[in-house]
Amino acid sequence: MDNINESHDSALVKAPWYRHRLLVLVVGSITIALTLVSIALALYASGGTAQLDISRPGYKSVQDKVEPTSFESFSPTGEVDEGVIDEFLDLYDKQTKRVNSTDAFSESALADNALGIDAP
Amino acid sequence: MKLIINSFVACMAFVVFLSAVSVYAQSSIMTDSHIAKIKTNCTLALGIVGRIHVNDAPQFINSNQTYYSIGDKLMAHLNSRLTLNKYDASKLVKTASDYNVALSKFRSVYKTYEETMSELVRTDCLRAPVTFYDKVATAREQRVKVHDAVVRLHQLLKQYRVDVKTFKAEKLGDSNG
Repeated sequence: MDNINESHDSALVKAPWYRHRLLVLVVGSITIALTLVSIALALYASGGTAQLDISRPGYKSVQDKVEPTSFESFSPTGEVDEGVIDEFLDLYDKQTKRVNSTDAFSESALADNALGIDAP
Repeated sequence: MKLIINSFVACMAFVVFLSAVSVYAQSSIMTDSHIAKIKTNCTLALGIVGRIHVNDAPQFINSNQTYYSIGDKLMAHLNSRLTLNKYDASKLVKTASDYNVALSKFRSVYKTYEETMSELVRTDCLRAPVTFYDKVATAREQRVKVHDAVVRLHQLLKQYRVDVKTFKAEKLGDSNG
């Protein structure tokens, strides 16, 4: 039994990668880390998270413009009567007021003349 | 022989078509004075584009959060409550479903627009004024799509309110509207 173990150990020691096992460990670790970081960055960019990330460089000046998340919820359980519906509508009107402006993302902001690049 | 004549006619028609396309392309080429104007106002234009890009971010984040919460914490909860009480809320469910589709569209068109704007602010308009101008046009088209998505969301918000009032009048006997 000992002979079998010894021959196995000796074969292992003779393997080329075993002599450079520290290097293999370091390169392997770096490869795995780079792969995981690449996957994470791809998910960050493709999943739409980047658009919600205000901590990116250049966005410091507008960080205070992001409103804290506070939203009064409507209870999904309970009886239904006219009073409940009125209560819902009050809550609904209050919350929809926050996004009432349809001027958001208007085309005129990027008009040629607004940027001074219109044809002379 | 007839085949050869037909082939010749087809080739001539194709050449004429290509010429017409070429003439149209020539007419849309920018003039030297236009390119010079873009170069002159390059810094100013990049500054404005940069400010728009940065200011769009909180606008999107706040709107997206509110739109999501309205759908998730108001519409879905009311629909659930009505269903639990054995009411037919199919119309409200349909509008809420359309709203969620519109919200997904809003997010996807904004993502495309934001990526174009990110490229645009990195474009060197002194070295590549024509590329810069083309990218501004693309960003503008995509911004229109974002605006259209916002308008659609607002239509559905109004529609849902109307549906709730209709439900109240029809199912709960309220005639005040």
